[in-house]
Amino acid sequence: MKIKINKQLYIGLISVLLGLIAGAILMAFTGNNPFLGYSYLFRGGLMNIERIGNTLATATPLIFTGLSVAFAFKTGLFNIGASGQMLFGGLCATAVALTFNIPRELLLPLMMMAAILGGGFWALIPGLLKAKFNVHEVVSTIMMNWIAYWTIYYSVPAFFKGEFLETESRSIPEFASLKAEWLTNLFNGSFINYGLFLAIASVVIIAIILNKTVLGFELKAAGYNRFGAEYAGMRVDTNIVLSMVIAGALAGLGGATYYVGYASNIQIGVLPTLGFDGIAAALLGGLNPYGVMAASIFFGIFHSGKGFMNAMTSIPPEIGDTIIATIIYFAATSVLIERAMAIVSKKVKGEN
Amino acid sequence: MKRVIVILLAIMFVANFAFAGGEQEATSSDSLKVGMVTDAGTIDDKSFNQGTWEGILEAEKDMDITTKYLKPVGTTEADYLKEIGNLYDAGYRFMVTPGFKFETTIFQAQDKYPDCKFVLIDGAPHNADYSVFNTAANTVAIFFAEHESGFLAGVASALQIKEGEMGFIGGMEIPPVQKFNWGFQQGVAYANENFDTKIVLNAENIIYQGTFSDVAAGQQLAAQMYDKGVSVIFAAAGGVGVGAINEAKSRAKSGEEVWIVGVDVDQYADGLFDGKKSIILTSAMKRIDTSAYDMIKAELGGSFPGGETLIFDASNNGVSIPAKNPNLDSSVESSVGDVFDMIKSGSIVVAAEQGSLIK
Amino acid sequence: MDYIVEMLNIRKEFPGIVANDDISVNLKKGEIHALLGENGAGKSTLMSILFGLYKPDKGQIKVNGQVVNINNPNQANDLGIGMVHQHFKLVHNFTITENIILGLEPKSGLFLNLKEASEKIRKLSEKYKLNVDPDALIENVSVGMQQRAEILKMLYRNAEVLIFDEPTAVLTPQEILELIKIMRNLTEEGKSILLITHKLKEIKTVADRCTVIRRGKMIGTVDVKDTSTADMAEMMVGRVVSFNVDKKEQEAGEIVLDVKDLSVLGSHGVRTLKNFSFSVRSGEIVGIGGVDGNGQTELVEAITGLKKIESGSILLESKDISDYSIRKRITSGMAHIPEDRHKHGLVLDYSLEENMVLEVYNRSPYAKNMFLNKSEIRKHADKIIDDFDVRSGEGPVTITRSMSGGNQQKAIVGREVDHNPNLLIAVQPTRGLDVGSIEYIHKRLIEQRDSGKAVLLVSLELDEILDLSDRIVIIAGGEKVGTVNASETNENEVGLMMAGVGKGDTP
Ligand SMILES: Nc1ncnc2c1ncn2[C@@H]1O[C@H](COP(=O)(O)OP(=O)(O)OP(=O)(O)O)[C@@H](O)[C@H]1O
Ligand SMILES: [Mg+2]
Repeated sequence: MKIKINKQLYIGLISVLLGLIAGAILMAFTGNNPFLGYSYLFRGGLMNIERIGNTLATATPLIFTGLSVAFAFKTGLFNIGASGQMLFGGLCATAVALTFNIPRELLLPLMMMAAILGGGFWALIPGLLKAKFNVHEVVSTIMMNWIAYWTIYYSVPAFFKGEFLETESRSIPEFASLKAEWLTNLFNGSFINYGLFLAIASVVIIAIILNKTVLGFELKAAGYNRFGAEYAGMRVDTNIVLSMVIAGALAGLGGATYYVGYASNIQIGVLPTLGFDGIAAALLGGLNPYGVMAASIFFGIFHSGKGFMNAMTSIPPEIGDTIIATIIYFAATSVLIERAMAIVSKKVKGEN
Repeated sequence: MKRVIVILLAIMFVANFAFAGGEQEATSSDSLKVGMVTDAGTIDDKSFNQGTWEGILEAEKDMDITTKYLKPVGTTEADYLKEIGNLYDAGYRFMVTPGFKFETTIFQAQDKYPDCKFVLIDGAPHNADYSVFNTAANTVAIFFAEHESGFLAGVASALQIKEGEMGFIGGMEIPPVQKFNWGFQQGVAYANENFDTKIVLNAENIIYQGTFSDVAAGQQLAAQMYDKGVSVIFAAAGGVGVGAINEAKSRAKSGEEVWIVGVDVDQYADGLFDGKKSIILTSAMKRIDTSAYDMIKAELGGSFPGGETLIFDASNNGVSIPAKNPNLDSSVESSVGDVFDMIKSGSIVVAAEQGSLIK
Repeated sequence: MDYIVEMLNIRKEFPGIVANDDISVNLKKGEIHALLGENGAGKSTLMSILFGLYKPDKGQIKVNGQVVNINNPNQANDLGIGMVHQHFKLVHNFTITENIILGLEPKSGLFLNLKEASEKIRKLSEKYKLNVDPDALIENVSVGMQQRAEILKMLYRNAEVLIFDEPTAVLTPQEILELIKIMRNLTEEGKSILLITHKLKEIKTVADRCTVIRRGKMIGTVDVKDTSTADMAEMMVGRVVSFNVDKKEQEAGEIVLDVKDLSVLGSHGVRTLKNFSFSVRSGEIVGIGGVDGNGQTELVEAITGLKKIESGSILLESKDISDYSIRKRITSGMAHIPEDRHKHGLVLDYSLEENMVLEVYNRSPYAKNMFLNKSEIRKHADKIIDDFDVRSGEGPVTITRSMSGGNQQKAIVGREVDHNPNLLIAVQPTRGLDVGSIEYIHKRLIEQRDSGKAVLLVSLELDEILDLSDRIVIIAGGEKVGTVNASETNENEVGLMMAGVGKGDTP
């Protein structure tokens, strides 16, 4: 077991290296010094306690979407709908925050519950469609993304409209935010919030579910070999639905950390890209919950360090974006290539 | 695998030495460092971002400043604040931010970075629930009289076309867009009354698409309006407007006579087709560039109007239509010039409210 | 002596195991050369090396006397080497022609000339008497025809050396006879064949020489005509193998499985099983005999719950289980060695130990309050590995995908027998196993019976049915042809009945 984890880590690190090299080449070709560029990039993400806090805050929702994608993947499902689940979970949390005037100690758990249920519900539908009618989840989750987009689009102005702005909800009151004064102060005014702790807890819980529990055993079995799981008496259809719901709940909770933690209102007309970045985080993390967390924090450094790199060098923001995207997707796809090769050789062996 | 990595590393080193010739750090220390954080959309959005940035670049030509813009990862307050922090940490002490979305961001930033100057275009700093408005001593808030700009564009289009139907496509239904619309309607009405034009504006052709980004929807909406007989569409809609422009271009190419009225900046060049003709009849401009330029100039001259809220309107040449557009007859241009002077002098007052207007 | 292929001092290691240790094999032009060895001995590995799927750690390969480097199957093709894998690589909704030319660049022009190709394939098929319809869809043809399509695929690519990895494991006895004929035709036309098989009878029938491998090491190459099957078996296993099944007479007890008037719909909506009735009592083995595709699969799937029944009833110890879930059937004391070990039997990406608790992971002692009890799972796996001599690189943590086919099979049989079920349904339990393992598995099945359990055996191998069963139910066309006592019948009679010729029922 030990060797395997190390191997995954090794693959991950190599992929990261490849990503960095790809980014460096791009920097060099646009006439910039890669070493300088990277030093500003990393300083931008980690230079002081506030920036570390911001990096972690940026990584938080990504940990959730990455975990959501990885969990679904492990159980044989491709969840492209993390964005929509996030959005709807975030809407539910925002709705609770704007509706109930109860003490913070009650309100926050209630909001998180709402986000979990909302995200879970949003994934329940594709789960049921797959289990009952064999509708491929890639199609239905993408559909649900847009349904979430338009649901937010119409419901926010209708029910939670700010006094002046049509394009976003009212801001949630301070006591309903996942931000905490002590935490903000500790990190020198950064956006870090309780979401990070929820993310770490989720990572641990998902890792335990996947590796140590009866449920995880069953879900993974269905993911690897549906017929084998059926043969062994597992209820594969129920498990598909359950997997989707858990994945959706994770993304939904991630939505809460984004909309009522990192941000303090929900904007209409924006489908968060975090759901898709989550796919990259899941891949780079080798579908391992801890790996996903590491990959997300790594991406977090880039997302929050990028601006400083751009500010300190002559790299234009568009190229900066491209460099970051290159690093991220190169790293993620390098893992993929490695995996593809592994699958090919496995296939070959399987023919015996 | 290992071999590949070694090769790549080698390339990286070579590339490094090949390109590391000059120090790229922006280190000139005495000149004013002027930074900008963009709103959603790109720097060449033919609108706010571009207008602001052009003003800054214009200032760079005339004055001793260094410039930089940053593009936030998302559009939340946290994303904006992070970029402001990045600019600040990189030594920028003068920042221009375009768009009302920066209102709460600047509200926080002006206190967090008291030694930095902020110019907020199209908004005034306030807290999240609008209970506190405060334009601090290091901040200038700038607004535009969009209704006056729309009015001028309305008059110009009506004079040029004389007879027929017009329409309006807006992005989101927010005050600056609405004011453009209301001003445009008043301008058309003014022309009908005073210049004997016969322009019709039907309620069904006044539409807010709902986003600033859905190019395809813009194209569709424009196609529907043109099919219904509309010949001029005023598109105040960002990316949606781009769709409308595309539709107009393809129709114009096949010989149809259709027009778009541009917004924010002079969009003439965007409407070019077949090399030299453009479907942009005129544009309802906000002189964002001027405002950015003026503020930088003021700062360097030691007269930064910190704490003030400035209105850019006809009276200070903050709104206008382009001085020249080959699609407008010179007689039209001179009439519009007269109208412009009347607004300036106050003999025409354009309402900034909906009143009895459509939508 | 000129050899067409020489593999010299080949070595290949996998994590935890040396799969090939200094093995040398040479192939004469026009000969059929058999590879014989226990499960996991390293036969498939050796052939995969020749076909360019693995790189050897040490050793040399010569083709026509030239040292060559074979890095991938395309290079193997170019050298005139082709391989038929045990599980075919065919695209199901493509025609045979399309499958054969798949992956081949068109020689001229942009478009594949399907007509020309199909004509060429028809000619090849006639020349080697393969009897393949080039325009048939793969999904509509029998396993035997699919295999022949694979052979055509090699011939189409001008292969001179043909590798067959356990080709007969998936074939019916009739198809095996045909394949043997085809192999002879091929050698007559000058092709050379490397054949992996566990069936000594087949080696005796078609092979010229035979190389024996044991645990990765080469034991030797013998001329088949001078060596008896018993000698070969001994070379391979390292001890004398008994081919006779020891079975005491025993009175059968209570009825355990009672199937009454069972009808099942097949995949195309036709009734593939019609009013089928039979029973299995405790302390007896009932064999289902029949030609492949006559309803055996549907019968088993209906009993185990993988398929819905149309009408009739299935009683397990007098309880009607026909609408029980699969899990409930398992907990009611039914175990099932499935026909397709990759599709149903294993989760190939799970480790061996995880696969060993595939049906019982949620029960004590393997689960405790929703958590898996890893140490108990390990113990359980160790026991099965020990009892059934399951060989693999890394023991219980080996990913089952990397195990040899035979060892995968042994693991499944071990798991199911270990449940000690009241009713054990064994479908092709010894498919792909070496003679030593077959002997052992047979012993364990009989032990089940002797301890008063019921065993339902479904096999295409008449010998196996005749040797193990107490009673034999013969199925043809989805209907029961008759039942015979194994002690009172012979191969001929059963063969006739399988062809649909009925006989008075003995209860
Ligand atoms: N890709 C692989 N990774 C790890 N181990 C492997 C791999 N392929 C084969 N092995 C191991 O090498 C040994 C030889 O396997 P191989 O498949 O060659 O056996 P075989 O002789 O074909 O057996 P069988 O008759 O059961 O098919 C086995 O112990 C198997 O577990
Ligand atoms: Mg094998």
